Amino acid sequence: MPSDLLIRRPDSTTKVPGVDPKRRLTSDRVVMRIVLVALAVAVIWAWRHIEMSFSGLIAGFGDVQNLLGRMLPPKFSDLDDAIRLGLETLWMAVIGTTIAVVLSFPIALGAARNTTPHPAVMAVCRGIIVLSRAVPDLIFAAIFVRALGIGVLPGVIALGLHSIGMIGKLFADAIEQTDRVPREAVVSVGATKWQAIVTSVIPQAMPSFISTVLYRLDINLRSSSVLGIVGAGGIGFLMQANLRSLQYDEALGVVTVIFVLITLMEFLSAAIRATLLGGERTLVGRSAPRFSVGARLFGRVRRDHVRKDRPAARVDPETVRPPWTGELRMKTLYGLAFLVLIVVAFRSVSLNPGELLGAFDDVWRVTTRLFPPDFTTARDSIIDGIIESVAAALVATFMGALISIPLGMMAARNVAVNRVVYGLSRIFLLFVRGVPDLIVAVIFIAAIGLGPVPGTLALAFGTSGFLAKLIADAVEEINPTPREATFAVGATRSQEIVTSVIPQAMPAIVSNLLYALDINLRTSTILGIVGGGGIGFILFNALRVLELRTVGAVLITIFTVVYVIELLAGWVRKQIL
Amino acid sequence: MNVPQAETAVQVTELSKKFPNGPLALDRVSLTVPKGQLLSLIGLSGSGKSTLLRHLNGLIQPTAGSVDVLGTNVVTAGRRELRALRRNVGFVFQSFGLVGRLTALENVLSGSLGRLRGPRLGTITYPKALRREALDNLERVGLAAQAFQRADTLSGGQMQRVAIARTLMQRPSLLLADEPVASLDPESSAQVMDVLFRIVVEDQLTVICTLHQVELALGWAQRIVGLRDGQVVLDRAVDSLDQDEVMDVYRRVEPGQRSSQSIVDLQSPTSDRVA
Repeated sequence: MPSDLLIRRPDSTTKVPGVDPKRRLTSDRVVMRIVLVALAVAVIWAWRHIEMSFSGLIAGFGDVQNLLGRMLPPKFSDLDDAIRLGLETLWMAVIGTTIAVVLSFPIALGAARNTTPHPAVMAVCRGIIVLSRAVPDLIFAAIFVRALGIGVLPGVIALGLHSIGMIGKLFADAIEQTDRVPREAVVSVGATKWQAIVTSVIPQAMPSFISTVLYRLDINLRSSSVLGIVGAGGIGFLMQANLRSLQYDEALGVVTVIFVLITLMEFLSAAIRATLLGGERTLVGRSAPRFSVGARLFGRVRRDHVRKDRPAARVDPETVRPPWTGELRMKTLYGLAFLVLIVVAFRSVSLNPGELLGAFDDVWRVTTRLFPPDFTTARDSIIDGIIESVAAALVATFMGALISIPLGMMAARNVAVNRVVYGLSRIFLLFVRGVPDLIVAVIFIAAIGLGPVPGTLALAFGTSGFLAKLIADAVEEINPTPREATFAVGATRSQEIVTSVIPQAMPAIVSNLLYALDINLRTSTILGIVGGGGIGFILFNALRVLELRTVGAVLITIFTVVYVIELLAGWVRKQIL
Repeated sequence: MNVPQAETAVQVTELSKKFPNGPLALDRVSLTVPKGQLLSLIGLSGSGKSTLLRHLNGLIQPTAGSVDVLGTNVVTAGRRELRALRRNVGFVFQSFGLVGRLTALENVLSGSLGRLRGPRLGTITYPKALRREALDNLERVGLAAQAFQRADTLSGGQMQRVAIARTLMQRPSLLLADEPVASLDPESSAQVMDVLFRIVVEDQLTVICTLHQVELALGWAQRIVGLRDGQVVLDRAVDSLDQDEVMDVYRRVEPGQRSSQSIVDLQSPTSDRVA
């Protein structure tokens, strides 16, 4: 019998040509190990640096419980005010997103390889995108409040400028991913470059555009609900005022309003996505959620183009206008609704577009005063601050990961023990995600006291919700066949999760973990503004005494560190995926 | 002798093209096409057919040589001149080049962009006269009923017919077709070629069409030009050709010089599609 038909127990004496009995160390395995060791060392260092401890954690937990005791039940004595400010927050998000879309559009066309007029333009546009993404909106807002005074205006400009980073990037990606041939075809009929872009590139990228805008609106609502903390309008101001005057139950009332607002918006945007983009390919998010409460409420709109059985529409040979189908009606309706929303938003916060344009002048003036940056005056505290911010981000991501991996498994429909666990986990995630990180930070700081520990805990709390949702979504999309195979050999549920679910979901988990680290770093730079430690504190102080050149130095420091970490994360992602 | 005569549609002289980091895609190709001729370009994929075709409306600029199309020197033409030329040259792509999310009519309308100023998006942004013309052109390819159907819901054959209707909006005098039926099943292929042939005859167009189905080329064209490795290896009127001679283009020998090697190295034209 040929020897290679025998099933041999693998042991170190068996030599198979080309296969080392020990697992071969391929280059990506080496990278993976180095990264893991480096991360572990970094987390341990960070843990010690911000003086986090298990006893401190338990004490902190007690403090938060204590505070929650004083917060419950929430009081709504100035509910009218809260609702008015809540709406203002919504309008701010709408206006901020509108500003960002208007500005992002040309920037994306300039930044996309296939539409840019010149490589130099591309470099500039990409630079703008990277810059505006790296500076958190709250920092923009804090600076603009100094230039424009307290109010809604600095807030919406901050939201707009910061959102260019994400919207511009995703728009440019969508443009780059369009099919080249239709454009070539339109060019070959003698169309100009712009005619070809409008007729062939824009329609292809449109679903991704819409999806991106909806996604960003969601994010901006969360952001605008905390802008009030630096005086840039919205409901955040009311919450902080309540906390300052120790009216904890009132503060929780305001947080409840924020939560309701954010959660409603999330449902609404999922529903709009489902009705408007069902069946379309998009870059952002799952375009057609198979299960969405919102989509069920709104019902699924009949998509003409999906129904091939539809009898051909009769064409009027005289006018040759598109028939007024359900789909066209729906699209027109949504388009009009968005226009109305934008107009209402501007009117409600009594902002006119002229005033907005004028404000950019002041913004530009304050920006120029940030230069040349002054690194010397506050050198030591800038260095200490940024190190503390990085440490907080590392610890928060680590703690968030510890919680979110099991939580994510429980919230994945195909892995969860049963429907009840699945449902409860998803509801829990909804709750965690419905409260912005910075608000959690403000509450934790009120309970525990100033310093990096409550800030880090707040970040960890937010991360666990955000990461668990991403992990759950990733796990729901894994291939079921290897799982069946594992069960078929008699594995238990936990064995099966370890041997087939986790390895399959690993790339997504690692990738999302790096993404979380990225986001946490940005957020940790602003924790100092509310007393949560890190570089934000120096920034806020320098702003208070109008040492704008120190602010410039802090900004450049934040940008550099955020950008370097982003590059590193991108590199690691590329190595292991 | 480089001056194109009145009856010449296309005059290509000593055309060479080298892509950056690529092989010589075209090697001193010369070709004169009189007006009204139906010419079929054949050859393996990578032989330079598509590259040659894309030179004719300036989608690609040559490394050396000259290209004269409908009295325009494509190599030296400025942007405006080139656009004026493209307006008169229809181009049909293997992968149709339709914008899937737009309706069939909108795709046809985009064929009139060369005649319009400014960008257009949506049927009603085009003048009514053009909308009627577009509908007529859809009618000519038998798809008027599908005018307001999204292009990506059409079958492959229907998509290519929409693409043909789009080039009709240009009222072209020269039609370039790059493997118009290579992505289609035999039945749709026949339909598309029928439509194309009828239009070409009715409108008295000059046609240069790359094809890899030799039977199609023989049944359809008046003249066949074979390319191999960027060089012209065959250029004959169809009535003086038989299928074997044409098949030689796909083999490793010069047409007409059959050797035993050709049997070993036999490459059927269908493998072109796979490759």
